[in-house]
Amino acid sequence: MTRKQMRLTLIGSAGAVLAVALGLILFALNDQIVFFQSPTDITQNTIPDGQRIRLGGLVEEGSIVRSDNAQVEFRVTDMENVVQVTYKGILPDLFREGQGVVTEGIIGTNGIFVADSVLAKHDENYMPKEVAEALKDQGHWQGGEATAN
Amino acid sequence: MMFWILIAALTAAATLAVLVPLSRNRQPAGAAASKADEAVYREQLETVDRDLKRGLIEPEAAEAARTEIARRLLSASERQTQTVEKSERSLQNKIAIGLAIVFLPAATFGLYIFLGSPDQPDQPLSARLEGPAQGQSVDVLVARVERHLAENPEDGQGWAVIAPVYMTIGQPESSARAYANALRIVGPNADWLTDMGEALTIANQGLVTADARKAFDQAVSLQPEAVKPRFFLALALGQEGRTDEAVAAWEQLLEGEDETQAWVGAARAQLAELQGTAPPVANRPGPTEEDIAVTSDMTAEDRQTMIQGMVSGLAERLSAEGGSVDEWNQLMRAYMVLGEKQKAETALNDALAAYAENPDDLSLIKDAADQLGLTGS
Amino acid sequence: MIIEFGHYALVLAFALTLVQSIIPFWGGITGNERLMAVASPVSVMLFILVLISFIVLTMAYLSSDFSVLNVVQNSHSAKPFLYKFTGVWGNHEGSMLLWVLILVFFGALVGFFGGNLPADLRALTLAVQGWVTAGFILFLLATSNPFQRVVNPPLEGADLNPILQDIGLAIHPPLLYVGYVGFSITFSFAVAALILGRTDAAWARWVRPWTLLAWCFLTLGIAMGSYWAYYELGWGGWWFWDPVENASFMPWLAGTALLHSAIVMEKREALKVWTILLAIFTFSLSLLGTFLVRSGVLTSVHAFATDPARGVFILGLLCIFIGGSLALYAWRAPMLKQGGLFAPISREGGLVLNNLFLTAACAAVFVGTLYPLVLDAITGETISVGAPFFNLTFGPLMIPLLMAVPFGPILSWKRGDLLAACQRLYVALGIALAMTLFTFWLWGMEKVLAPLGVGLGVWVMAGAVSEILTRVKLFEIGLKRGISRLWGLPGSAWGTAVAHFGVGVTVLGIVTASAFQEEHIQTMRPGDSVELSGYQVTFDGAAPRRGPNYTEEVGHFTIRKGGVVVSELDPSKRVYTARQMPTTEAGIYTTGFSQVYLSLGESRGDGAVDVRVYFKPMITLIWIGCVIMSIGAVFSMADRRLRVGAPKPSRKRTAAAAPAPAE
Repeated sequence: MTRKQMRLTLIGSAGAVLAVALGLILFALNDQIVFFQSPTDITQNTIPDGQRIRLGGLVEEGSIVRSDNAQVEFRVTDMENVVQVTYKGILPDLFREGQGVVTEGIIGTNGIFVADSVLAKHDENYMPKEVAEALKDQGHWQGGEATAN
Repeated sequence: MMFWILIAALTAAATLAVLVPLSRNRQPAGAAASKADEAVYREQLETVDRDLKRGLIEPEAAEAARTEIARRLLSASERQTQTVEKSERSLQNKIAIGLAIVFLPAATFGLYIFLGSPDQPDQPLSARLEGPAQGQSVDVLVARVERHLAENPEDGQGWAVIAPVYMTIGQPESSARAYANALRIVGPNADWLTDMGEALTIANQGLVTADARKAFDQAVSLQPEAVKPRFFLALALGQEGRTDEAVAAWEQLLEGEDETQAWVGAARAQLAELQGTAPPVANRPGPTEEDIAVTSDMTAEDRQTMIQGMVSGLAERLSAEGGSVDEWNQLMRAYMVLGEKQKAETALNDALAAYAENPDDLSLIKDAADQLGLTGS
Repeated sequence: MIIEFGHYALVLAFALTLVQSIIPFWGGITGNERLMAVASPVSVMLFILVLISFIVLTMAYLSSDFSVLNVVQNSHSAKPFLYKFTGVWGNHEGSMLLWVLILVFFGALVGFFGGNLPADLRALTLAVQGWVTAGFILFLLATSNPFQRVVNPPLEGADLNPILQDIGLAIHPPLLYVGYVGFSITFSFAVAALILGRTDAAWARWVRPWTLLAWCFLTLGIAMGSYWAYYELGWGGWWFWDPVENASFMPWLAGTALLHSAIVMEKREALKVWTILLAIFTFSLSLLGTFLVRSGVLTSVHAFATDPARGVFILGLLCIFIGGSLALYAWRAPMLKQGGLFAPISREGGLVLNNLFLTAACAAVFVGTLYPLVLDAITGETISVGAPFFNLTFGPLMIPLLMAVPFGPILSWKRGDLLAACQRLYVALGIALAMTLFTFWLWGMEKVLAPLGVGLGVWVMAGAVSEILTRVKLFEIGLKRGISRLWGLPGSAWGTAVAHFGVGVTVLGIVTASAFQEEHIQTMRPGDSVELSGYQVTFDGAAPRRGPNYTEEVGHFTIRKGGVVVSELDPSKRVYTARQMPTTEAGIYTTGFSQVYLSLGESRGDGAVDVRVYFKPMITLIWIGCVIMSIGAVFSMADRRLRVGAPKPSRKRTAAAAPAPAE
């Protein structure tokens, strides 16, 4: 092989790997990302069947209903609209009524959101960042300033 | 002073770390650099030889590698490192020395004075809790008693000492809990029950709760003539809307009482309100809430004076007028939980002197002293 | 007084880094050896100063000195001793001080052991390290001073975030930081080399031990963090593709690539431009990670406090260091001479392939981590990029890389023979195929990908073993001589094989734990049992318990296999009193490499409780593999050719200690 051929092979294989990587990334970005929606977004916009979304808001007070086999139902609210959620599994430690929550799953034809994961990961304000922003948009959230330390 | 010596020493050490290498003679950099390069390439040559011996690489590959490394070795020894003129060099050295001697201490000191608080001492928690009680803030004294109680949770008298203090610093819930502990351990006591009820009432914004009522009822059963519990019970009846019973209770309470007493005014106001003859006074539980309002407005020093005043008041009264065995024991205990052993010993000696002629009481005092670890002298 | 002394030491360290940034740099570019000589003693002095302030802060924590604001905000007098200690770096200010401590620690190591380096390279490297240190100490002093005092000290602190009250916190951040920050020294070496125009094989040889050291700790740190999340979060997951995890994983991927490309540079003087760029990128990714975690852009346990000023400051540092070094690179790199040639099929070719896939994978993780942030900033749309994205991009890029791993070390330099390499590997290939078929036979066709994954893991492991055996020619020269040759193999050869074996072990663990795990989520009453993977898990009941600074509800479970009790577990749900914050403590029974994992959910009154029960086959292999990889790095560092230290005495010693040739 000449010097030139060697270099071409090198550049060619590098290009091929990078092209594959780029293709994978673009394909995955198109297909595998999940949009964050507030209950108002869900009520106002139509979401295609079977599309995964993240639903965030506050767990409505008094809405948690537990049944056997770790089945839980609760409502998520952004103070404007409410979405009914059902979930089977163990809720995170920080899941509480009146606190922020983010759930991921698919909305069923009956309008009930079937979650396969529930997150309550957050800072010391007990508020996931996305939820705080969604609530700010709705004008229901004034916190966040007092905690800078 | 010690602090300034220490930081001066630290600064000197840092300055020396710069100055010492500046003052030493060195071999020219260029020669040393190519030496270091050569060492690496010679090692590489050795490796090739070793690999060849082991049969890990083919002889042709070894030969090619050797040629390559030899070429690198050659170019390393040809490397020219630029060097500066001698005159410029000594100027550089002077600037560097100047940086170390002037800039380093000046910048550090200036920045530290801006950022630090050199006068503020260390305040580790244990030292704050164990130092002399005199001159400590009330919070420290409370924390000290709390620590004592955490270690000796069955010290009923200790709970009784801290309970009123909690009231004065505006923590009625803690006060009620402390009274409850004292009552559980020592046994029923009308005053404590009353104070506990009062604490519960204040904790609930003046509402006499069921727990508080139970406490007042029990206090009345122990001391039927006591005014304070009956006052609160009357208040409770009014709050429950049992107006007739409340009016009866107030009237019974006010019967034959001295008009100059502070509570009488409040009681009359309640009564008038219930009977609809006076403009309603907004849900006043009595004078106690105002007391608390006053104390919570107090500055830290005022509170401190107040808490120490409470103990020293007891001490003065006992030494002037004498008192019961229980009171003496309480004083010793108060000193002990505040960490003032010396004063506790003095109190013990005074108590022993006061009861010198009464062997029964004397042994009671001695028992209490033993429990506290006091010896007397 | 002691606290102010620590504060003063930190301020002095800042002034001294400025001196370090100027004097040796000036000496290095003008060839004044006296100025260059300043670098080493000052680097050691800097370490001593920062160490003093770190020790002082630790003492403030241990004595619960609430006149220090940082202690008030993050400690509590009732906290157990260990967590008072680890709490020092369980908060923003303290962890940044630890960051700086490690930064100067690496500087001091170079100053102390760098006797074999040319004076100008050493001086410039330490000066660049001084720039980075100056930036971060200024950040500490200006925005997050751990020695800020309180005039009226309270009597109790706010306690440490309970999730962080765990032995994991004692180990995970220091390990991770040593790795993360350790790459600063390769960055400094790279920038120094660019300034001096000295990028040659010798440079790569000098940098390699430092890269290995940082990589070794980063590997351990990530593994530790993963295991910690696994048992502390109670979700049974060991990797969540959480942005914070990715922030530490990206430098690892870039650092792994750097480790491999530096070999090519050292042996053949090829890939110089690329290696220097990787060294800059690796530390840039560390800085990016610090920015993401510390600025509050991300919400997670790691984001201790969010203060815009801090974010802006770190962003500024990020721009200066990354932008500056890349500008320098763009200016100097074209002047670098081209190195040795090689055919596509060769050791170099294999290492290039490794670099291609690792950087592509790193880029995929980079896009997945930053895309949501960028999109949010531009359009305001909130999206989440979760595990599916990474599985789809990262996974396919790793598979060809893993398939190629066993070939790399067997190919010869410059021009390799693929066919000969295949012949050497046929035993390994046979073992891998056999394992694949065996897994198919065990599990049938229901999970098609899993047996292939098992095969891949075994292939990498068997490849590593066969590499060592080929090197000593065990089958050709007999067992006895083979073993003595095994002993005489250079450390770097052992390092490669051991680290690659570790990769295989981790892959095997990931595949089996993900594909064959069994999970039950169930509401259990006392006496109820769950059957899984041959184990019977019985819930005996739950009872409350008090700890030093928490209360907990402890469930008692008995695990039986074939009716025989094999273990009893007590998973619990805790509530930490000071912050009223709940946490989950999982109950884990380890049997062989597999684990039974229990975690409690909500109580339902009447003694019933939600329970999550997992059987995770061979899951511990994931972390054992990482430990093996780090051991590989240690082997490589122990290689006498790479040993750091003054060249002359060490060479004498090794010459005396080297075993006589086996021939």
